[in-house]
Amino acid sequence: MDYRGVFDQVFGLQVWIAAGVFVLVTGLLLGALVLNRARRRDKLPFAAAEHNPLEITFAVFLGGAAAFLVWLSLSNNHRLDYGDTLAVAHQTGLAPGRQPVRVDVTAFQWCWSAAYPGSTTTVSGSCATPAARPVIVVPQGVPVEFALTSRDVVHAFWVPDLAVKRDAYPDHVNTLLMTFPETGQWLGRCSEYCGTYHKDMDFYVRAVPPAQYQAFVQTGALPAGAAT
Amino acid sequence: MTATEPRATVEEPRPAPHRARTTVLAWVTSTDHKRIGLLTLGTAVVLMISIGGLALTMRAQLAQPQLDVLSPDRYNQFFTMHGSGMIYLVMTPFAIGLGLYLVPLQIGAPNVAAPRTTMLGYWLYLGGAVTMLSGFATSSGAADHGWYAYPPLAGTRFTPGPGVDLWIAGVALAGTGMLLMAATVLWTALVKRTRGMTLLRMPVFSWSVVATNLMVIGAFPSLLVAMGILAAGRVNPAIFSDNTWNIGYQHVFWFFGHPVVYVMFFPFVGAVAEVLAVFGGRRYFGYKITVVSLLAFAALSMSVWGHHMFSTGQAENDYYSLTSILLLVPAGLEYFGFLATLLGGRLRFPTPMLFAVAFVPQFLIGGLTGIMIATPAVDYQVTDSYFIVGHWHYTLAAGSLFGFFAGFYYWFPKATGLLLRERIAKAHFWFWLVGTNATFLPMFWLGLHGMPRRIASYLPQDGFGTANLIATLGSGLLAIGTVLFVVDVVVSIVRPRRAPDDPWGGFTLEWATSSPPPPQNFDPAHPVPPIHSYAPLLDLRAGEGRA
Repeated sequence: MDYRGVFDQVFGLQVWIAAGVFVLVTGLLLGALVLNRARRRDKLPFAAAEHNPLEITFAVFLGGAAAFLVWLSLSNNHRLDYGDTLAVAHQTGLAPGRQPVRVDVTAFQWCWSAAYPGSTTTVSGSCATPAARPVIVVPQGVPVEFALTSRDVVHAFWVPDLAVKRDAYPDHVNTLLMTFPETGQWLGRCSEYCGTYHKDMDFYVRAVPPAQYQAFVQTGALPAGAAT
Repeated sequence: MTATEPRATVEEPRPAPHRARTTVLAWVTSTDHKRIGLLTLGTAVVLMISIGGLALTMRAQLAQPQLDVLSPDRYNQFFTMHGSGMIYLVMTPFAIGLGLYLVPLQIGAPNVAAPRTTMLGYWLYLGGAVTMLSGFATSSGAADHGWYAYPPLAGTRFTPGPGVDLWIAGVALAGTGMLLMAATVLWTALVKRTRGMTLLRMPVFSWSVVATNLMVIGAFPSLLVAMGILAAGRVNPAIFSDNTWNIGYQHVFWFFGHPVVYVMFFPFVGAVAEVLAVFGGRRYFGYKITVVSLLAFAALSMSVWGHHMFSTGQAENDYYSLTSILLLVPAGLEYFGFLATLLGGRLRFPTPMLFAVAFVPQFLIGGLTGIMIATPAVDYQVTDSYFIVGHWHYTLAAGSLFGFFAGFYYWFPKATGLLLRERIAKAHFWFWLVGTNATFLPMFWLGLHGMPRRIASYLPQDGFGTANLIATLGSGLLAIGTVLFVVDVVVSIVRPRRAPDDPWGGFTLEWATSSPPPPQNFDPAHPVPPIHSYAPLLDLRAGEGRA
């Protein structure tokens, strides 16, 4: 799923709406501060202490705005397969050749490891230095399902550039279904506080062409000159 | 109940006034709501300054990449004690303590209901604060699991040491204290109103406290259950090998954890409403719809907790997104009242008004970003990042604290009989106005660019240096403003200038009595005036104007 695309659309629209509301409210506020100074005014601009028809009309308008924002939120959450909590049910909609490639990702204090079902290939690292960060290799252009779990405390798998995040729990597996349309390498972080070296729990996700991915899963190493 | 009903409850007998003793013992054994309220507020101010100091140290650590001001463990203790301290020991007591001091005065009652229970609440709060903070005196340091203390991290397997035990005990004590205090103030507002003070003649502030205390009663028991789960896990950490307990704890905790956010917000909405009306020289606009929206807001607040858990994969995200976004309806109606009061007023700008006016756009930033993070597709990116840190600091520091300071400067002359120095107060305001925005605005950018919350340092290549430096400089302005605030209070006490009974031209009953009010709030020299609306003193002046 294209988390980044959905995020950019929804967040972009919300920022415009928020900016409009903020400018309107602040504009009215500043206008009142300038025009209604006691020095400038002998009497109140208006004396009414309530105006029920206006208040009710505004409440209805707010209800409409809320309805629109709820629709925006829910419909886009559905585009993301409900944040993938229902991924297993949705996979049945995928064509037989397009079943996702599963990557088992395990968080621990304080780094990450990855395993590839049906293969002895594993990825790990210490996260102590940038050079020791694990690189989780995935195929480009094919649905990938991360199966996230933890060995100890709660962590969270976050790839900021791809706008995707999911918590990793002990004794529980969360899934995250996504497709990498391009090859590349992205920095990932742990975003759920997990103890002393939480700050160091960085990793990479690297998408490579499917053939190179197959070679990686079989040999445990990317072929020389692999795409970055 | 109609507005013309003559009285709400039976008038209480007012014992003959006596001079109150001023020894420490007299204060800590007082049964006067004003003294218990001032003890609560004073304790919370001292804690705000010391716990704010933890934040300044953290900002120093984050000013540039890879600094060594604090070790990772010490940093983790500091953010835990900053967050949990500000929430449990500062903002919640501000909210409940302000209500305790003011509600009996505003409704013309001689005292709070069950004053001894209320005083017990203060002792529990004080004991809880000392217990929580005493973790710093242990060899392994204070608790370092974050203010919501998720297991299994908060269990003995991953965080041994007495800091966490003390934290759990302290939170339970302070939470129980706040629960007792909120209950007695709610009781007071419901059954101890004076002759003529019907429910729909209670000032907006008192209504905001009623809504607040309803939420406390609904939510705080859940906090105690959550602390019970953590305590069980301290004894037997094996329970946290089972996911049910971990995710179950999160649900129980956030069932408390979201309503408490509005507990730390509502009384300041009420305070801002009173200040805007008085310094706008007019009756507050939209009283009834504001009351309805406060109650609706409080009711809805009990159904939104799962929006803290969108990324857990174990919450019904659509439902919590729906209920959370619906909050914009009551919130929007409250803003309608703010703006209409300002648009229809003749405005004066002493310090309380400055803080109240700044509250409106600054809290709005917190509210608008709140709608964004109530949207799962957005929250999957920004949750647990600095975007969230920016969001709630706009609601709590740039918002609620501005409302608190508006109330502090407004009611200080009433509570002490002393005038504060306007020029120092205004300098405090301007340092805080610039300081909050400089500190918290860059955090939105940092979160969107990948900075997780609660990291003790970052690398040069992360590119977070400039924005963090701006935030740190902003926090320096907040520190200067806070020093000015303290100086103002000290100067006003050391070189007193007597405050009149009603220095501002207030509308509500507390301004009809002396400054400070007598032990039973009103006496023969300061009787409760007739009450015909939510602004009785304004009615009185309007009547005199006509005569």
